Amino acid sequence: MGDSELAYGSSLTLDSMKVIAESVGIATLGDDAAKELADDVTYRLKVIVQDAMKFMHHSKRQKLSITDIDHALKIKNNECQYGFIQPDSLPFRFASGGGRELHFIEEKEIDLSEILSAPPPKVPLDVSVRAHWLSVDGVQPTVPENPPPLSKEAQKLESVDPISKLSKPSNKDSAGKPICGKAARLKASESVHVKQLATHELSVEQQLYYKEITEACVGSDETRRAEALQSLACDPGLHEMLPRMCTFISEGVKVNVVQNNLALLIYLMRMVKALLDNQSLYLEKYLHELIPSVSTCIVSRQLCLRPEMDNHWALRDFAARLMAQICKTFNTSTNNLQTRVTRLFAKALQCPSQTNNETGPSMASMKESEKTPLASLYGAVQGLAELGPEVVKVFILPRVRWLGERVEGALSGIGGADRLAAGNLKHQLLKVLAPVVRQLRQPPDQPEDYKRDFGYLGPSLQQAVSKIRSSPSCSTAGGAVAVVTCTPPLLPTAPSPSPSNISHTTKTETVTTRNLVIASSTPQSPAPSTPPPQKFVIVASQQKPTQIQSSSGTGHIVVHSSQPTIVRSQNVQSVVVTSGPAPGGAAQKLMVVGVQPQHNQGQVSQVCDTHPHYTHKHITTHTYTYPKNHTHICLKHTHTHTHTTQATQHTHHNTHTTQHTHTHTHHTTHTHTQHTTHTHT
Amino acid sequence: MSEKSTPLLAVLQLLRKYNLKSTEDILRKEASLGDVECESLDLPEVELASILTAHHTESDPFTYELAYDGLKKFIENSLDLYKYELSTLLYPVFVHMYLLLILYDHVEHAVSFLEKFGIEQEDYYQEDLKKLSIVKHKDQIKGNELAEIYSTNKFTVQLSRDASSQLKRYLHEQKNSSVIINIINNHIQIEVHDGPGRTQAQVRATAGGVLGEPMKSENRTKVYYGLLKEPDIQVLPAPVEDEEEVEETPDKPKKKKAKKDNLFMKKPKSDPNAPPNDRIPLPDLKEIDKVEKGKALREASKRVQLGPDSLPSICFYTLLNSGHTAISCDICDDSTLLAVGFNNSNIKVWTLTPIKLRGMKSAEKLQDIDREAGDVLVRMMEEKDRDTCRNLFGHSGPVYKVAFDPFKTMLLSCSEDTTVRLWSLQCWTCLVVYRGHVWPVWDVRWSPHGHYFASSGHDRTARLWATDHHLPLRIFIGHYSDVDCIQFHPNSNYIATGSSDRTVRLWDCLTGSQVRIMTGHKSTIFTLAFSVCGRWIASGGSGGDMMVWDLSTGGPAASLPPAHTAPIHALAFSRDGTVLSSGSLDCTIKLWDFTAITDESPIEETLNNPIPKEDKYLLQSFATKSSPVKGLHFTRRNLLLAVGTYESSA
Repeated sequence: MGDSELAYGSSLTLDSMKVIAESVGIATLGDDAAKELADDVTYRLKVIVQDAMKFMHHSKRQKLSITDIDHALKIKNNECQYGFIQPDSLPFRFASGGGRELHFIEEKEIDLSEILSAPPPKVPLDVSVRAHWLSVDGVQPTVPENPPPLSKEAQKLESVDPISKLSKPSNKDSAGKPICGKAARLKASESVHVKQLATHELSVEQQLYYKEITEACVGSDETRRAEALQSLACDPGLHEMLPRMCTFISEGVKVNVVQNNLALLIYLMRMVKALLDNQSLYLEKYLHELIPSVSTCIVSRQLCLRPEMDNHWALRDFAARLMAQICKTFNTSTNNLQTRVTRLFAKALQCPSQTNNETGPSMASMKESEKTPLASLYGAVQGLAELGPEVVKVFILPRVRWLGERVEGALSGIGGADRLAAGNLKHQLLKVLAPVVRQLRQPPDQPEDYKRDFGYLGPSLQQAVSKIRSSPSCSTAGGAVAVVTCTPPLLPTAPSPSPSNISHTTKTETVTTRNLVIASSTPQSPAPSTPPPQKFVIVASQQKPTQIQSSSGTGHIVVHSSQPTIVRSQNVQSVVVTSGPAPGGAAQKLMVVGVQPQHNQGQVSQVCDTHPHYTHKHITTHTYTYPKNHTHICLKHTHTHTHTTQATQHTHHNTHTTQHTHTHTHHTTHTHTQHTTHTHT
Repeated sequence: MSEKSTPLLAVLQLLRKYNLKSTEDILRKEASLGDVECESLDLPEVELASILTAHHTESDPFTYELAYDGLKKFIENSLDLYKYELSTLLYPVFVHMYLLLILYDHVEHAVSFLEKFGIEQEDYYQEDLKKLSIVKHKDQIKGNELAEIYSTNKFTVQLSRDASSQLKRYLHEQKNSSVIINIINNHIQIEVHDGPGRTQAQVRATAGGVLGEPMKSENRTKVYYGLLKEPDIQVLPAPVEDEEEVEETPDKPKKKKAKKDNLFMKKPKSDPNAPPNDRIPLPDLKEIDKVEKGKALREASKRVQLGPDSLPSICFYTLLNSGHTAISCDICDDSTLLAVGFNNSNIKVWTLTPIKLRGMKSAEKLQDIDREAGDVLVRMMEEKDRDTCRNLFGHSGPVYKVAFDPFKTMLLSCSEDTTVRLWSLQCWTCLVVYRGHVWPVWDVRWSPHGHYFASSGHDRTARLWATDHHLPLRIFIGHYSDVDCIQFHPNSNYIATGSSDRTVRLWDCLTGSQVRIMTGHKSTIFTLAFSVCGRWIASGGSGGDMMVWDLSTGGPAASLPPAHTAPIHALAFSRDGTVLSSGSLDCTIKLWDFTAITDESPIEETLNNPIPKEDKYLLQSFATKSSPVKGLHFTRRNLLLAVGTYESSA
């Protein structure tokens, strides 16, 4: 009977005894002797282990250790097993050969001289005492020292089998409110209902927390936002608020996409990122809300008010990275997440020829795909690129020719926004495709071959590939990071700033786009030897040489930075400074500085006028500052959203401008910029 | 030795005993046994007798299985009234049959017998069966702890009068097989009681001891479980160190406070169950002890009343970087010091308040101090040498228990090195090493009045000591296995012990005799706690099971539902006795409603009360973050302090 054998133990076999005998030099051990020995040794070993169990229990452990065995030997008046120190369990190795099977412990030969010459091992940390509240008046506070109120497994179980929560009458193990008085009576009356509802109520503290966090996440104060995101990413007890957070995000995205409110979309995506990073949350239940939001931010036709100016590309890149992270974390064989997401992006890239080959759609769909905006194409490419080189190979590469045609068409067209988009798309395609093509094709890279195979993009691709080939080390490094390098070189015309045309640009820009634009001051000399005045956005985290991005003339600067990076910008609508995932998993920082539509240029120009002696004028950067009630509008789905927001925008903005005026009159230009940076970022 | 020669040798020994030389020679020749084997004839008398008497019937291995099967069928078919009581017979019969089979060298039959019927035994016997199953040779019976317990002691079974006559009739019918009759005669004590047969629940409640239930006569002695009358303590006017209170009530007249204290002290009048105050000599309170007591009383007046609706706050002290090394801990009565014993023989004492730990001045410096000065105790201490943590070195093995004395001037520790050590918390040195236990000492506890302490260990004894004697005052012998835990009764007259034989025993310190034996625990008992009123004792075991016993009767008062999944190593009563807390290695602390547990009102398990009483006991459970709970302590104001070690998953 196998069961009973398990229940009442096994014993050493004759073979084992013979092997052991051989190892101590007894070549021929008789069967009888082996049997006798096996029985006796088994008995004695078991007695020792039984005694050792007592020592284990009194050491308040549940795992037997070698010291327990030593103590058990000691009370039997036996010598200890000297020299066996093993903090963890010993793995048994298995070997077979010559018809014999053998289990053994791997013992390495140790070179004593090596140990003697090695530096002494680190002294272990001393034991210390740390106090925290496990419970306050019967309620367990959710502090990091306490376990999360609902473990990830429990959250998973709940999402897989929601009925389990209902069937359990009182969940005493999860530290909630003590069941007493009113709650108990409620519980009693609950049993009368035919259908039980899983009530989901938030405590007052949780409501306050929710309010604070959501306000901070979309508010104007960058430090508060950082704190709020940190809280979302680290706090253990958020699962109760999770459905509301997800609704907040998805509703926020819906509203702000319509509003083309780039900054808020970025903030919301950062919230998603924070939630994804939280180790104690089980997000799977809420993916149906998060994925549409994130994919919207990747492929939406328009994400900002002025596609030709604002840097919505950074948002698309960021969201694409989030999507990849979601796919990686939550993809299972049942939900087929990655497949579905891939299909979504691939559909956006459907070129006419491709569609013909596939399920044979009508001409209408062809037309439609022809009309897919370049921004969406960019997003789709980016989304696919984040999913890995294999996906790029299968879904993007076959469509390069068609994509090239689109790019070519847009670049030669008239629309400024389209040209910009085409430029970005082209750049992105080259970046994504180059490593893949490098793997696929053999070295002799002939521009003609590329032209033949990839159409319009062929020659550029050939250049990119050969560039990668020449510097193999850096080819792989950039792959994982989405927001890299600066876009300006791709921009159509970058007027070199000279003091003479600054005023001109300023004037025209202010007139046309109603932006507060002040041209860059210092000539192009980057990295002054003197410590730069704090007029720059400085972000630190990865190891990469210091970059100094100096851009001029146009809209968006995306800087992927690691070392303190200085962004000097003029005529800039938004500067996105990101940093790639730091090696230690440090928090990511994404700063967005943008320019708000101005309704009072008069005042600003006045500012400039008041300081005519400053030859250099600095760009003033604004964050999208929204009043706090904005969040509520998103939440309550109030339809008057637009109206309220804009109204408050006005007032808000006015206050800011007055502030500038004030600063201008009192400080040098340098300090002025510093000031604005501080207040707005 | 071969199977056949054992009885032959026995016969030879018998012949030699009666000096029948020629017969012996003939037999030896016929059986062709050498001289050597005959010289080593030293079978014990009992064994010899049992071999010779049982040779015909009992050496036949097949009769055992049949006999056991028959007994089982008989019990199954008997009336429900007797069934459950009779079923307690099955386990001892089974065990002794197994041992007899081993004794007669029918190892294979023994193994198959164990495999066939072992699984049918009660779940709480399975662990014992596993231990017993390693015995596969008759030589091993002698050395094996468990087998020896069974073969040298009688297993007690309680049967009602009717059940026992049923059994007698059945045994009478089984004339052809004397196996069961012999086992019952030799190894089982049947105690007949006059009441009706017990129900399954009743039987189960007291079953589980290694040797069955206790005899009724063993629990008849009167136990004075009441509390001693508190000596009158002149409560000094609020001393300066109680600044907090002074600040809180600056304008409160002092008179009022004094009144309150007096009220508090009136409470213990004359308890009819209390022992006389001089039943055992207790040490006189020193002046400083009185101050301490006064402080305790004042603190107690600020105590929070606990109950199901007002649960205590828990402050959890996590020992970081300790891994598996910290194995014991204690918090002193006024909750200012924490001592931790480590398995590397070290003891660490931490202060839990901002007041630092100070050492005493050197002897030369002490001479200069004016002994009559009022603040002599403060002056004695070193001014510079302050620390938040101090080490005590001296043991040479894991420190299994540390204990502060009630006046926090001394610390006791016991260790694997078989010693108990007394440490001074003023000099921070070892004062006395108590040697007496020969094996590792598992537990040591102070008497609530100081001066006395008790220890227990692997040598199956518990000992009572006085700090001024280097030899124990009493040795309590009776447990069949390790005495794993010990606890002093609040009135210092009794000591309770818990053991691996799954019994809790109560010993009288005055007479040294056992006054209560309580069975019903299903696993090794690791911790004990007396209720504040002194009548109840709670015990926690290795299986995560907890029981509460009534000392007045010696019976189980309640068996708490098995909420813990790992051994319980800490139990603590709130100072007002309403809440019982338990801490376990499964990283949880659970709070139990003790007033409900000891509620003696008749159980209304009628239709309109579908929730069983047991479900209402558990108030709340708190999980820690992978920190097994190793100590619990209620402060005088009813704040629960817990100590655990953080064990990272790696």
